[in-house]
Amino acid sequence: MSTGQSPKSIGKISFGLMDPEEYRDMSATKVITADTYDDDGFPIDMGLMDPRLGVIDPGLECKTCGKHSGACNGHFGHIELAAPVIHVGFSKLIRRLLRGTCRECSRLTAVDASKFTDGDGNVDLAAAEAAAEEKKRDFRQELRRTAELGNDLDDVLKSAIRQARSASRCPYCGAEQFDVKHEKPTTYYEIIEVPHPEIEERLSMAMDPPEGEPVTPDELAEAIDDAFEAGRIRELLSGTYRPDRNDIDALQQIGKALSRFNDLEEHLGEQLDIESASSYLLDEDMDKLMPSDIRDWFEEIPDEDIEAIGINPERSRPEWMILTVLPVPPVTARPSITLDNGQRSEDDLTHKLVDIIRINQRFMENREAGAPQLIIEDLWELLQYHVTTFMDNEISGTPPARHRSGRPLKTLSQRLKGKEGRFRGSLSGKRVNFSARTVISPDPTLSLNEVGVPDRVASEMTQTMNVNERNLEDARRYVANGPEAHPGANYVRRPDGRRLKVTEKNCEELAEKVEAGWEVARHLVDGDIIIFNRQPSLHRMSIMAHEVVVMPYKTFRLNTTVCPPYNADFDGDEMNMHALQNEEARAEARVLMRVQEQMLSPRFGENIVGAIQDHVTSMYLLTHQNPTFNETQALDLLRATNVDALPDPDGEENGEAYWTGRSIFSELLPDDLNLEFTSEAGDDVVIEDGQLVEGTIDDSSVGAFGGNVVDSIAKRYDKTRARIFINEVSTLAVRTIMHFGFSIGIDDESIPPNAAEQVDEAIDNAYERVQELIATYEAGDLESLPGRTVDETLEMKIMQTLGQARDSAGDIAEDHFAEDNPAVVMADSGARGSMLNLTQMAGCVGQQAVRGERINRGYEDRTLSHFKPNDLSADAHGFVEHSYREGLDPKEFFFHAMGGREGLVDTAVRTSKSGYLQRRLINALSELETQYDGTVRDTSDTVVQFEFGEDGTSPVDVSSSEDFDIDVESIADRIIDAEFDDDAAKAEFLEREALPTNLSEHADERWLAEGDD
Amino acid sequence: MVDVTQHELVPEHTILEDDELEDVLAEYDIKRTDLPKIKRADPALPNEAEVGDVIEVVRDSRTTDTAVVYRLVVE
Repeated sequence: MSTGQSPKSIGKISFGLMDPEEYRDMSATKVITADTYDDDGFPIDMGLMDPRLGVIDPGLECKTCGKHSGACNGHFGHIELAAPVIHVGFSKLIRRLLRGTCRECSRLTAVDASKFTDGDGNVDLAAAEAAAEEKKRDFRQELRRTAELGNDLDDVLKSAIRQARSASRCPYCGAEQFDVKHEKPTTYYEIIEVPHPEIEERLSMAMDPPEGEPVTPDELAEAIDDAFEAGRIRELLSGTYRPDRNDIDALQQIGKALSRFNDLEEHLGEQLDIESASSYLLDEDMDKLMPSDIRDWFEEIPDEDIEAIGINPERSRPEWMILTVLPVPPVTARPSITLDNGQRSEDDLTHKLVDIIRINQRFMENREAGAPQLIIEDLWELLQYHVTTFMDNEISGTPPARHRSGRPLKTLSQRLKGKEGRFRGSLSGKRVNFSARTVISPDPTLSLNEVGVPDRVASEMTQTMNVNERNLEDARRYVANGPEAHPGANYVRRPDGRRLKVTEKNCEELAEKVEAGWEVARHLVDGDIIIFNRQPSLHRMSIMAHEVVVMPYKTFRLNTTVCPPYNADFDGDEMNMHALQNEEARAEARVLMRVQEQMLSPRFGENIVGAIQDHVTSMYLLTHQNPTFNETQALDLLRATNVDALPDPDGEENGEAYWTGRSIFSELLPDDLNLEFTSEAGDDVVIEDGQLVEGTIDDSSVGAFGGNVVDSIAKRYDKTRARIFINEVSTLAVRTIMHFGFSIGIDDESIPPNAAEQVDEAIDNAYERVQELIATYEAGDLESLPGRTVDETLEMKIMQTLGQARDSAGDIAEDHFAEDNPAVVMADSGARGSMLNLTQMAGCVGQQAVRGERINRGYEDRTLSHFKPNDLSADAHGFVEHSYREGLDPKEFFFHAMGGREGLVDTAVRTSKSGYLQRRLINALSELETQYDGTVRDTSDTVVQFEFGEDGTSPVDVSSSEDFDIDVESIADRIIDAEFDDDAAKAEFLEREALPTNLSEHADERWLAEGDD
Repeated sequence: MVDVTQHELVPEHTILEDDELEDVLAEYDIKRTDLPKIKRADPALPNEAEVGDVIEVVRDSRTTDTAVVYRLVVE
């Protein structure tokens, strides 16, 4: 956009076709030569790089508007095409109009005239015309209705054309209509019926037979009862006959009559089948419609007829779809690049335009020289090809125009289309300033609202300080630090708008000059608010606001509790940061986007930020067995939290006071919290007055994705309290797990030998049962389950038996694990892993499956060459009897890899599919908006929901448990309490008599009445 | 044949009287065509519903007991 223009508001945008005259009017120059620059490197006049088309070289002046490069947007030129060509973009509409209008008079054939006959069977044109007018009124009515309902007007056009196409005779002129065939992309044929050549041959044979009497046309006409007059038979004979659909019967009769007259079969041999009507019929002939024919045809379509099918004739005359003049885009839209060696490399569009002009010129020369029609038609087609590919180079059935190197040219349509196109690539998605991207790593000492920003990022991203008397000192200090020292400044802007760069050299000097009214672009400092994002941004919590904490080193640091909303981990993930550039944005981010404000997920209405992994394990260790700690230990656990005094000890042992894990955890809870629920570990958690009375704190209490305690605090108190709670839980958890120590190794999954024997026994048992099943099956005694074949039944039963075997192996293994086994602790607390994982590690991996069935692929009738054909046993179809700890044997390993591969492929397919689904959903829903009246409407104000979600509630504000309603009273009380310093002030405020409002004098009476008592 | 309107999962569909309709349109400040649509062929519609009628659908809602929705009958 050029500068120095006042902004204008857009009233409306209307789309339509462009009149060729308008192309000529707006053209800065006609382009006639295909050359670009002359030998001296100057653009050639009326060439493709004509200086009137705009300037790209800096320093030059535009010959049209006099502006310099950058200020001049460029100007269109035009090429006068030697012959009209079809615009590919409209090939479908052209086809529709050709099919829907009369070939003779170009009127819309809304009804079939041949359906309107008077008593003698003649066509009644007056009646047909009246019916056609009536039909057009219907079309208009339908258009109005469709527009009102907000449906697609194109559907009306389509159905109108479908009706008009079926007309065999024009209702206005009675001319017969032929079908139009469209050969993509830009060729149209009219299918005309001509007499079969055989008929002519037979006629002449009959008129001049090698033997016997010749037949005269009159005799023939008589023989067929004058269904076909003698005159027309003569026409047929001389080749001047014009085809008529009604002649089909007559022509058939001629054929038969001819065979009666003489034994033509003898002469024509087997070429003719007398009885087959088709050989006497007409032959289809394709008559190519040249673009000029189509243009003439369309010019005749009256305005009222195109209006009836939803085309505005004032804006879009159909003949404008056939180009007679081609606009040449300004040079600014197709700049040439000067290569290092001084050679100029032209844009793809320029290359294409060169082709068009060359062919255009050759066309004109050839036509003037009177070249044969064939050559002219070839050139015409070539011109059409070049104009077509100029607009779209990816049309199916047309070879794409290529660069000399073989690369397909990027022409107009390719610039707009697709992910990297103008719409998705340049308009909806842009690269932005004030953003940073780097690897993320964890920092448990940060609050979940914070983000650690590397100092080198902080000194690149800036915030604008508007200098005034109050912050003048600060501003000067920032500037004095220069651009390299951390809390420094990179730029200053003087009140006169001049922007100065702060350098190491001038910073001291510049700092003294800074006065109120200046602007200072200072570095990010602790407490600034920024926006943080991890792709893919699948939900709104993928972009949240954080407070900056400037840190050394090169990574962004985050608290591990915000990993779930971002779906982040630290195996090399990178994240983006955006520094906000105005006060509104900063306020909005702080109030609405801060992590704590986004703590509850609108997807399930519960918290998505919370303890994860080691935090959960740690809280489990702290509360499950309710261990005791002496004073030193208890203080150590709480030292990183804000709790600075221990409660009364829970008891004394050997003269030393001790505190239990549950009471230490209770220190983090709000004092008046009451809660009861069942934990992940299976026991009942009871919290009374902020004290954990009994139960285990684990994933279901403090975890991300709906931890009960976190969720309740966020809803009953506020999000600030919940944020404090999560932070404290995670710091306590880190201390606790350091106190107990937590590690896992391969020995933690080993089971004693007797247990291993039991597992083997269970598996052997299962093998036996499988063998029995197979034996029954082979004996033919297996009874099929309802709705299944015997084979399927066998498979099911085997799968079932082996599944049971794995489960019992798991149960045996589980029995031999101690309760403090780290893997058990993790599975039990919900921190990571499940009992199934443990079963597979210690007991038996179990049946591998591909597509939900036992492994059945590989060789003919067997899975591997190690097995006999048709072996139905467990190990031949992918049952892995070993555990991961024992190790898999080669066959098992192979089957396991098969199952594993399917899992990988599935996830890959799922992500790409769901990504596309998401894109489509977002596009469909993006314009919906909840209005102030609570309705959800689209941009055309059509109601989508009468109340947001049909209940007008936000899932985030709904209580998660049915027996606990959110206590609005107590929340209101708490807020009012916080508002006043003492009860007296509060009482004064609350007891104040509110005077009745008096908005209008009409309410005076009521006001007096109320005020009087 | 099964009459779907009798099914327990199919909410009540009733044709809105003219005066009620006016109230609804005034409440939301919309034209009749701004309403969501329902096909005339929809089996849940009462038999006497015609194109252009507005249907009131009263659904059970877990959160608000009933949710009322209006739909314009189209072809």
